Amino acid sequence: MAAILSATNLVKRFPGVVALKGVSFDLVPGEMHALCGENGAGKSTLIKTLSGLHPAGTYEGEICVDGRPVAFANSKDAERAGIGVIYQELALVPEMTVAENIFLGNEPRRACGWFIDWEKVSADAKQLMDRFGLNIPTTAVVNDLGVGHRQLVEIAKALSKNTRVLILDEPTAALTEQEVDVLLDMLRDLKKRGIALIYISHKLDEVFAIADRITVLRDGQSITTLEAARTTKNEVIRHMVGRPIEDLFPRRAGKSGVPRLVVENLSVEENGKPRLENISLEARAGEVLGIGGLMGAGRSELLMHVFGAFGRRTGGQVLLEGQPLGPAHTPSGSIHRGLVLVSEDRKRYGLVLDLSIGFNMALSSLEEVAVGPGSFGLINDARERRRNTEYFDSLRVKAGGLETVVGTLSGGNQQKVVLAKALMTEPKVIFLDEPTRGIDVGAKLEVYELINRLTDAGQAVVLVSSELPELMGMSDRIVMLAEGRVGGTFTRAEATQEKLLAAAMGGETSLN
Amino acid sequence: MSTAVPVHPVLNFRALAMPAALLCVGVFFALKSPEFLSARNLSMLAIEVSITAVLALGMFLIILPGHIDLSAGSGVGLIGGLSAVLIFEYGWPAPVALLVGLIAAALIWFGMGTIIVRERVPAFIITLGGLLVFRGLHWLVIHNATIPVSRGGETNLFSLLTTYYVPPGVGWGLAALVILALAAVAWRKGLRAGTDREKIFLQTFVAAQMIVLFVLICNAYRGVPLPALVLAVVAFVIYTLTRQTPFGRYLYAIGGNEEAALVSGVPVAKVSIGAFLIMGIIVAITGFLQTAYAGSSTTTVGTLMELDAVAACVIGGTSLKGGRGTVFGVLMGALIMAALLNGMTLLAVSPETKYIARGVVLGLAVWADVRLSRR
Repeated sequence: MAAILSATNLVKRFPGVVALKGVSFDLVPGEMHALCGENGAGKSTLIKTLSGLHPAGTYEGEICVDGRPVAFANSKDAERAGIGVIYQELALVPEMTVAENIFLGNEPRRACGWFIDWEKVSADAKQLMDRFGLNIPTTAVVNDLGVGHRQLVEIAKALSKNTRVLILDEPTAALTEQEVDVLLDMLRDLKKRGIALIYISHKLDEVFAIADRITVLRDGQSITTLEAARTTKNEVIRHMVGRPIEDLFPRRAGKSGVPRLVVENLSVEENGKPRLENISLEARAGEVLGIGGLMGAGRSELLMHVFGAFGRRTGGQVLLEGQPLGPAHTPSGSIHRGLVLVSEDRKRYGLVLDLSIGFNMALSSLEEVAVGPGSFGLINDARERRRNTEYFDSLRVKAGGLETVVGTLSGGNQQKVVLAKALMTEPKVIFLDEPTRGIDVGAKLEVYELINRLTDAGQAVVLVSSELPELMGMSDRIVMLAEGRVGGTFTRAEATQEKLLAAAMGGETSLN
Repeated sequence: MSTAVPVHPVLNFRALAMPAALLCVGVFFALKSPEFLSARNLSMLAIEVSITAVLALGMFLIILPGHIDLSAGSGVGLIGGLSAVLIFEYGWPAPVALLVGLIAAALIWFGMGTIIVRERVPAFIITLGGLLVFRGLHWLVIHNATIPVSRGGETNLFSLLTTYYVPPGVGWGLAALVILALAAVAWRKGLRAGTDREKIFLQTFVAAQMIVLFVLICNAYRGVPLPALVLAVVAFVIYTLTRQTPFGRYLYAIGGNEEAALVSGVPVAKVSIGAFLIMGIIVAITGFLQTAYAGSSTTTVGTLMELDAVAACVIGGTSLKGGRGTVFGVLMGALIMAALLNGMTLLAVSPETKYIARGVVLGLAVWADVRLSRR
């Protein structure tokens, strides 16, 4: 079949780096084509080039639609050619309704052309939902929808523009398993309607569940294109990293020592709504405590509260190294006491994106490299730079240097900067909330190795993850949360996917 | 210079654009009025720039974490008036009266900062309220009259603030000290591996030349005016705060991403309130200088100064959203604003035209900034 979209030898240079060094691939109608590659392999740059965000003239090589070369000046041009993109960061206006969002910027007008035809907006939105079998009220305000539904609204929005090529960048990163199923079903349906899809995901299970072909990118080059039916996960991973990977979860359990963090009967509310009830757990030196649960079970809320950045305590206590922590404490106080948190949302809670790697790395522990009283001490530049360089090298951050602006880095490298910032505080207890979300296989392995090094050094690691294999692979003990309560506690040996899921669904469910 | 503090990609271009803009302003007024470049007028300009720049540097600390202070101008009038009344009507010694004004300002701004930060009321609203309240208090304190800064025309610490000129010899001595200090800093920086020694040398050399030129001009009149020294000290303190202390880094971090700063362990509330407290002290210093420059506290002292301060910051490349800006930029911005005002006054431009010109310059500067940052 003739390619609907093809790229030949794309080369895209940025000041200091070549992001694409010759990428070629093609897409035929009704095909699901997955793009796989480590962070920094060039996937995002490729999408931006295909969708007109990097305008013609800023890259070399050729992009063809229906066999004819095109030169998009902006994303509107690409949209007109039928190419729509769903980005990792959803681009909906939270205060507007579903229908308003779908037609934002494309509102049908009344005859005179000045006023929006609101009746047509809602009628068209409903029709669109019906056509694709979506069960989302078009009058709902986006703020009230879950992440999964928002994703579907984004897709509906793209489809309202007669999209023939739909590009999805990590669409399932924030979705629960049920939501993923709904999304995948919808994508299969779109395929049947002849829409070509480009699917970017780090989750190879999903890729194999849905993709027809897989193109692997590495270091800005297209390495190979494989038929999904005739390849294996291991082969794809091998192409991605350029070497075979033996052990996906290299947890080396050591000896667990004294309890470093003890949570006893903790209850927390926010804005009058109870969020956590009667939670007890402990994290020991040299041990990884895994915390699992479905979306909304209160995993992040638990970490954020103990850290001092969420909710109001209504009962129970938290002991850090035997001393009470909170209830009225701040993150800065927790960090001074030896507790640090790496948030699941690194762009919101982790980084000052416009500033440099060095600025971000040192932010949590500036007073350690300053001479003088607290915030008003004088920073010793040489000492700061030495320490930054040490962590930059040991975590193998891939960037031009400490001066590079963090916002320009790939997800995995951004995560390393956040980790460096946390480690520089020399914590005794470290909270890792989804530390491998949206990062590639190679960087994941590095995070796992780092966890091993931390526990070897006697630190206690609390790991929150929504991926059960990761939770089971990396934790020494696992606490499953269900609706703000402890649904079950398991040792590494006891844990099976079935038991964990049952505990996550409410705990009382029979295990048989 | 510290490595980790942000250097905006367009900063280098800007760093040239601002002196270029200043040069244009200077050449224009010099051609229109020969008086502009006279030693006397340049000395007056030095005083005016110093006053504007001191307040702008305080405003810089407020804008960095993403706040704004609209009450600064009224505060300048109030604190200057308060100290003047204590001296003129109650016969307090000038140093005590000034100290009381300083403490009052620090407390007031600490209070406003606390309400803004702890109660999460937008700074725009609280300081807009402050603008009105302080203006009212100012007029109340001076009973809508003209209160001289000293009794019977005698000189005191207050009046000397803008009438004292450092004797030429002392001026040269200070200049030599500053140049030596600059050279020492440059030499230490040059020792570091991988630094651009040529650039450091050039920067230091140009700075030294500027200082020599400045002292030369001032000495041709009466010597270096005291406000210029006040500005030098304030600028040095603010520069050190923003570049060399955790406090300054925290201001950039809060302006860049407040939530991330909080989770990173930045004591967001304390730091932001601290910025307001420092602003209070700076408002007091500006109030003393401005009132002394006017000779007495009147109902118009300080009017609209907050806007000149904001304009100086923005012209100097400070982002109103917070997280971006430099002390050098703010100083250049203040210089441009003050030169513009001074030149227009010399040319006897009508007040209405002055307002329009200031507004247009501000608009143009921000527009240029937005264009440049877009690359």
